Amino acid sequence: MELLRYIFAWWHKATPGTLLWTRRYGELVGEDEFGNRYYRTRNGEIDPTLGFERRWVLYSGYAEASTIPPGWYGWMHHRTDVAPPSETYTPRPWQKPHRRNFTGSPQAYRPKGSVFAGRARPRVTGDYKAWTPGE
Amino acid sequence: MAKIVVDGTEVDVPAEYTLLQACEAAGVEIPRFCFHERLSIAGNCRMCLVEVKGGPPKPTASCAMAVKDLRPGPNGEPPVVLTKSPMVKKAREGVMEFLLINHPLDCPICDQGGECDLQDQAMAYGVDTSRFAENKRAVEDKYIGPLVRTSMNRCIHCTRCVRFTTEVAGASDLGAIGRGEDMEITTYLEHAMRSEMQGNVADLCPVGALTHKPYAFHARPWELNKTESIDVMDAVGSNIRIDTRGREVMRILPRTNDAVNEEWISDKTRYVWDGLKTQRLDRPYVRKGGRLVPATWPEAFDAVAAKVKATPAKRIGAIVGDLASVEEAFALKQLLTKLGSASIDCRQDGAALDPSLGRASYLFNAGIAGIEEADAILLVGTDPRHEASVLNARIRKRWRATGGKLKIALVGAQADLTYPYEYLGAGPETLADLAGSGTFADVLKGAEKPLVIVGQGALARADGAAVLSLAARLALSVGAVKDGWNGFGVLHTAASRVGALDVGCVPGEGGLDAAALAAPGGADVVFLLGADEIDVAPGAFVVYLGTHGDRGAHRADVILPGAAYSEKSGLYVNTEGRVQFANRAAFPPGDAREDWAILRALSEVLGQKLPYDQLSALRAALVAAHPHIGRIGAIEAADPAGLTALAQRGGNTDKGGFAPVITDFYLTNPIARASAVMAECSALRLGGVAAVAAE
Amino acid sequence: MLQDKDRIFTNLYGIHDFGLKGALMRGNWDGTKGILEKGRDWIINEMKSSGLRGRGGAGFSTGLKWSFMPKQSDGRPHYLVVNADESEPGTCKDREIMRNDPHTLIEGCLIASFAMGAHAAYIYVRGEFIRERERLQAAVDQAYEAKLIGKDNIHGYPFDLYVHHGAGAYICGEETALIESLEGKKGMPRLKPPFPANMGLYGCPTTVNNVESIAVAPEILRRGAAWFAGIGRPNNVGTKLFGIMGHVNTPCVVEDAMGITFRELVEKHGGGIRGGWDNLLAIIPGGASCPMVPAAACEDLIMDFDGLRSVKSSFGTAGCLVMDKSTDVVRAITRISYFFKHESCGQCTPCREGTGWMWRVLNRMSEGRAQKREIDVLLEVTTQIEGHTICALGDAAAWPVQGLIRNFRHEIEKRIDQYAANPHPDPVPMAAE
Repeated sequence: MELLRYIFAWWHKATPGTLLWTRRYGELVGEDEFGNRYYRTRNGEIDPTLGFERRWVLYSGYAEASTIPPGWYGWMHHRTDVAPPSETYTPRPWQKPHRRNFTGSPQAYRPKGSVFAGRARPRVTGDYKAWTPGE
Repeated sequence: MAKIVVDGTEVDVPAEYTLLQACEAAGVEIPRFCFHERLSIAGNCRMCLVEVKGGPPKPTASCAMAVKDLRPGPNGEPPVVLTKSPMVKKAREGVMEFLLINHPLDCPICDQGGECDLQDQAMAYGVDTSRFAENKRAVEDKYIGPLVRTSMNRCIHCTRCVRFTTEVAGASDLGAIGRGEDMEITTYLEHAMRSEMQGNVADLCPVGALTHKPYAFHARPWELNKTESIDVMDAVGSNIRIDTRGREVMRILPRTNDAVNEEWISDKTRYVWDGLKTQRLDRPYVRKGGRLVPATWPEAFDAVAAKVKATPAKRIGAIVGDLASVEEAFALKQLLTKLGSASIDCRQDGAALDPSLGRASYLFNAGIAGIEEADAILLVGTDPRHEASVLNARIRKRWRATGGKLKIALVGAQADLTYPYEYLGAGPETLADLAGSGTFADVLKGAEKPLVIVGQGALARADGAAVLSLAARLALSVGAVKDGWNGFGVLHTAASRVGALDVGCVPGEGGLDAAALAAPGGADVVFLLGADEIDVAPGAFVVYLGTHGDRGAHRADVILPGAAYSEKSGLYVNTEGRVQFANRAAFPPGDAREDWAILRALSEVLGQKLPYDQLSALRAALVAAHPHIGRIGAIEAADPAGLTALAQRGGNTDKGGFAPVITDFYLTNPIARASAVMAECSALRLGGVAAVAAE
Repeated sequence: MLQDKDRIFTNLYGIHDFGLKGALMRGNWDGTKGILEKGRDWIINEMKSSGLRGRGGAGFSTGLKWSFMPKQSDGRPHYLVVNADESEPGTCKDREIMRNDPHTLIEGCLIASFAMGAHAAYIYVRGEFIRERERLQAAVDQAYEAKLIGKDNIHGYPFDLYVHHGAGAYICGEETALIESLEGKKGMPRLKPPFPANMGLYGCPTTVNNVESIAVAPEILRRGAAWFAGIGRPNNVGTKLFGIMGHVNTPCVVEDAMGITFRELVEKHGGGIRGGWDNLLAIIPGGASCPMVPAAACEDLIMDFDGLRSVKSSFGTAGCLVMDKSTDVVRAITRISYFFKHESCGQCTPCREGTGWMWRVLNRMSEGRAQKREIDVLLEVTTQIEGHTICALGDAAAWPVQGLIRNFRHEIEKRIDQYAANPHPDPVPMAAE
């Protein structure tokens, strides 16, 4: 079972095929803060099926595309050829660290008062104004 | 009766029916905008066009053409009307296109969306594309008061609002200026409408040109739960529909009941709902060291029980307020009886009504619909326009139906009643003169069905009993009480009053009445069942069972939070004695509970357990004791014999005119006093400050 | 050609005295008492047999209209209302009667009121007719003074005549709107039924007649129905005031026999068309609301009710507007369309919304700024207005446009093509900074 999962279930970690292909043709470009490792075809060779350089990522852990931070996102989508490690960009002080998309997970955003928030609902929901003595 | 063939179906309808009514009788729907059953016929929207065979080769407006105006066929065949012919289809599409060319396509931000006649009929009878390439007309929005919001771009000039204000409301506030495309509906120089029934124009408006200002952009009709209920703002018992979202009341609309409110309601009934959300009592309070502190239910009950058990039964009393349902009044009376006290009273204003004389002595015997048969009306100490606006509209309707020939006279404080009346005098002396002879007495005597309406202004005074007796004597002497007609009527102002009188919420043997209970040294423990219009003198221990932090709550030693009329199921008896059933639309806030359940729980703590655990059991007990309360929707006709006894009572009347009962129409009960909208209306009426503030 | 002896309005041009003295010399008020003595039924029958058709435009038999009034009063008074709200563009016959021959009208009012059992009559004069009203009022005052009318007059029939001044709204020429206006309300047409003969002014039986219809009545009764019926063609009898205006050499109002050909009318009285007969483009034969008749149909056009119906137009008030070839016919109809848009009362939907739509489309078309398919849309819009309104103003607004499209579609298309070929003939002005 573990073996089958290892061979076919690409979303847990890279399949043997991917790893083999990466070992044979891939060139490590860099690694982001979450441990995702980014590859491209060795020496930027043109991939014959694509017609340009192929770039890919081996996720650390669960394959979740939204864990790719913005810098690497740009590189992955060929918006830039300069990978983040060789870039001189420094984040602005107000920029927050990248977070993956938590939708569908327990950390997902819950609006105030949502029954999924896991906390007790406030007793007065604000749809009326209570009287207090002395008003 | 006349025969007419509508789309191949032959129907037999009264000859004075319009074609539109005849088509409806034949089960054919005719689209319409300007036509309304209760307003005069304008015939200007042209949406109801139908084809009449043998008539002129053009479509006919079915709302304006009577069946009797149609010519029969050459061999006397009944006239033939077609509503599905190509000519009619084309006419409807044409009119719909014209209506839409200058109507903004802003349905997504329009409050009428979802309940818009134009939307619905455009779907059913319109075409799907627009051929109009010019600019649309733009019309400035008007200020017409704090209750009705305008968006005049949307107006389709059906003039329903104009006809309503002129005909039903009797205040010609709205009118049209300009002509042709530039015609605009407006009040004169943008002053606020002065009618107390102006909210109805927003209901009548078939599009979103007039919408309810307090409700603006709050909800969509399809997300609201609709609950049929009964209004408690006055004693008419208007049939209403309470629209809620979640547990919030979003709006109140009228229901059609031809016997009571037709399809109108007053502004107080309609716009009081924001009062249901403020100043609410949502937890029990107990006064400790002179301050009210929040408490739990057991703490509050224990505080009441400790006091009640330490007090002799004779020193305990209860006052039933104006908004209570019959069940609560009945349960409270039973509790008091079990405690051994006879001091219960529902007449917090001191009106001299005595149920021992029979129901005829305190009902509006002719019935509200009966006004439409009356041919002479005497108003005694009442201002129906403000005490019962919808009933006043009925009197106006009768006055209009008689072509202004209906004789109406008033004894009491003068007021603008929207119809002319003869002013006879201010007080009991005038009434006594009238009972002897006098010109208006002759009018009443000459009338087929005279009506004498006695208001609370004549009864809530020291000599009230004598005035009531005098009025009954007058009614009898002019022949207002006869077979098939009882023209003596008491016009109440409190929704609970008739029901509470029916179950006998008046002091029994040795009991104290409301005034005595409230007087200094009157009683040691006083239960107030939502009674806020009376000040209990210091000294007594006051248990207030109510909904709002109003006068009663401020005075209370223990506050038990109850349910407002929208939050409980209950029975109400209106001024004509009609028993009506109100459904629960929402839930009471916080820890508040339904009033009967509080009384039941309290009775257990007091050791005098009331014998019912369910509302149905309480109702069964109530109906067993008073069978007529079980006949919902019906009026139990009162035996007029009681009036003879009443008339014989006599008594001395005082000098001095009847004072108006209602000083501020918009602020008559705790819910209305908690409402910001009512406060604005009241301020506008008093000084017109708010009119400027709107800019 | 009408002979002078057959003319009814002998002071049409104001050459003589308009007042009572002059009127008596012209034969007005002659034997009025004798006519009244012959009784109501005789008058109505005589009017019926004279074949007089209402001169206000619709052409309904006047005698028949009078006979619709209840024979016996049910307690309500009867009223005669004279419609002198002559606001139709291209019509100015009634004003000539009112300012130059007012006594024919006053005498007619008395006779017509007598025939209908009305003891009071109102003349509703158009708001813009200031001098006409002064003349008419002066004539009424003279008649009162001479005890020709009034409570206690020499004819022995108590009769009061009131001259009412309108406020200048075209729609008040519609009979029920006129009644509303007379009652002091907004001039908006009423729904029919009930018809005015049953529920009219102040809810009482009322007949509304045109000035000319009333003014010719005394002369008809004096000379006999046969005389009147002998003039003109069958079903279109009598004499008629024609107005000739526009591109003719001598515009005028003239009384002539019904059934006169247009050519004769314009050559004899109008002095011929500017630039000769061949320069004629089209005519609008009966006031602005009638569809136009192109020159080709005018060749032997007979000017009466049936003659104009045969060319899909209508006789209207016989105010004949002549347009020569210099006329921009699309702009002309656009202007008429604007008039109807401006005068629509706004009561019912098709007219309120449709007139503005037609005017806006036509406005663009007159520049050529439109699509050719919009011509068909416009035509359909006119049919959606026509016949769907409370009063006839909707029809009146639709007909000129229909007439334009029927007869001059090529003109509109040419204009659209021109604009499409060269949409900006002038340099585009730069936006002011």
